[in-house]
Amino acid sequence: MSVANAIEVEDLRRTFTRRAPNKLTRMFSRQRANGGASANAAERDDTGRRPAALVAVDGISFDIRVGEIFGLLGPNGAGKTTTIKMLCTLLEPTSGTARVAGFDIVRDPAGARASLGTVLSGERSLYWKLTGRENLEYFAALYDVEPSTARERIRELLDRFELTDKANELVERYSTGMRQRLSIARALLASPPVLLLDEPTAGLDPQSARNLREVVRELKDEGHTILLTTHYMAEADELSDRIAIIDHGKVIALDTPAALKQHIQQMHSVEVETDRAPDGILDELRSLSLVRGVESVQSGNGYQTWTIRVITEDSRQTLDALLDLLRAGGERVLNLRVAEPTLEDVFIALTGKSLRD
Amino acid sequence: MSKTMPHTVRVFLAAAQRDFRITTRYGDFVVGMLVWPILMPSLTVFAAKALAGPDGAGLSAFAERTGTTDYVGFVFAGMVLWMWLNMVLWSVGGALRSEQRLGTLECNWMTPAPRLAILLGSGVNQMIVSVIPVFVSLAVCTAAWGVRFAVTPLVGLVFLVSTIAMFGMALAFASLVLFLKELNAAVFFLRGVFMVFCGLTSPLAVLPPWMRAVSKALPLTYSIDLVRRLSLAGASYADVSRDFWVLAAFAAGLMVAGCLAFLIVDRAVKRSGTLGQY
Repeated sequence: MSVANAIEVEDLRRTFTRRAPNKLTRMFSRQRANGGASANAAERDDTGRRPAALVAVDGISFDIRVGEIFGLLGPNGAGKTTTIKMLCTLLEPTSGTARVAGFDIVRDPAGARASLGTVLSGERSLYWKLTGRENLEYFAALYDVEPSTARERIRELLDRFELTDKANELVERYSTGMRQRLSIARALLASPPVLLLDEPTAGLDPQSARNLREVVRELKDEGHTILLTTHYMAEADELSDRIAIIDHGKVIALDTPAALKQHIQQMHSVEVETDRAPDGILDELRSLSLVRGVESVQSGNGYQTWTIRVITEDSRQTLDALLDLLRAGGERVLNLRVAEPTLEDVFIALTGKSLRD
Repeated sequence: MSKTMPHTVRVFLAAAQRDFRITTRYGDFVVGMLVWPILMPSLTVFAAKALAGPDGAGLSAFAERTGTTDYVGFVFAGMVLWMWLNMVLWSVGGALRSEQRLGTLECNWMTPAPRLAILLGSGVNQMIVSVIPVFVSLAVCTAAWGVRFAVTPLVGLVFLVSTIAMFGMALAFASLVLFLKELNAAVFFLRGVFMVFCGLTSPLAVLPPWMRAVSKALPLTYSIDLVRRLSLAGASYADVSRDFWVLAAFAAGLMVAGCLAFLIVDRAVKRSGTLGQY
């Protein structure tokens, strides 16, 4: 391993084999399909069949330098969690190699695990019928923290994550934010050089999420290398030294947030607020010349309005056609703004869709 | 690396302590643990009393086949051992299944701790908890029915060897849990087989020849028979040595097979990516 790299991933690939359905399953599948639109249409090939293998991660490569925060950004199902699970040795890659702190994840999984602290997404990663302190005592034994130092280390971590007052309460009485802080404390028990944080702020209220981002920054300052997966653009932008954008299991861009935005600096982001869902005309908007991507979200302003964001190479040439299409579709334009591109626009320009799709 | 013996022992003890704490925080489990060992054997004891007749005339036929007229002790020994070993049998797989359902399994598997130590530690808690019903049963049996069990070091050794055999089978079940997820039907099937074939409430002599042949292939048959002969019929080591070593061979073979099965399935599950699925 290069001394400068904490994680090295080379041509990593993971496929999941689908079992052939038996007669009974096929019968129920037909009934479900007849009952409504197929939810998995995107997974089907040109013949309408589901492929025998699902490619979750498709030959990704990247290096993470020692001491950096590396963001893995992508929508749900893009392959982020599968990548994390391979790195923390819960899952074997189908092909390719990866090393964590120099340890090959297939040939020396125990070495890789001993160099890692991992927080997986989802909050049931702690024992709810144990107290916060008991959870940490248990995992300290698993992470091979010497008993002579474990007590002091647990005290430090409880202090650091402001859990000392609740240390002797059952975790089932903790708030979501407290559980997430305890999960990070657990990952730090053995002071691992590398941390894998899978969607660490998912499900947290804004204040807790902000506090957690502050913790992530502090961990970087202490010298930890952090691989952070998120589907929050702002979070990736704010925290990451470099970002890999992942979609359909492939890394489609990798650079610093500033450089990624620079790539589409010459583009414009047109935001149009309308009074109803524009689902019927999105494909037509995408087909306009110079348009690189379109997304639509319901506005979070308490009114029943929708915001359409159109990434175009030249807003002056696109605007007329865009407004014509909206009017023809019966949309009422309530507001219109041409903005500088954000990281979210980078994603839309690269994939043609929003992270929420 | 970190898989040193002290680490393995710490993991084993930590897993046992974790489960003991969790178990004792569910009050209803404790109640069940104390009540069942009284209720279950009592059913069969009352049935046996009825079959023996009002003046106990049927006891001579029973004594002829078992070597003892103490049918209460005979039934209690069989039922208590069956209940205890059943708990051990399902302990490891049950703990694993529970971790899958709670979502905590992956957090354990992500650590550098040896997985077998986590599993066996969890099973040991179950074993410790399961000893309580055994003592409750013995106390009830002695106080209410006047049965006197001879508790010798050799009886303790039979318990220990039986437990190792059951842990071996428990590890094999745990492997199946990783692979197939839901095993309730298989566990009930095996419990039923043990119940019918191992001479739980009746002597093996009353079974048809083909059933007796099957019973000889089950370690629990030897466990129950050894405990009855040693603690009720006053047998010595010389009387039971052959069966004791058969049980010991079962224990060694099943433990090795269980560990191997678990290690193989653990790797297979990592390849298939189904560890966290439930």
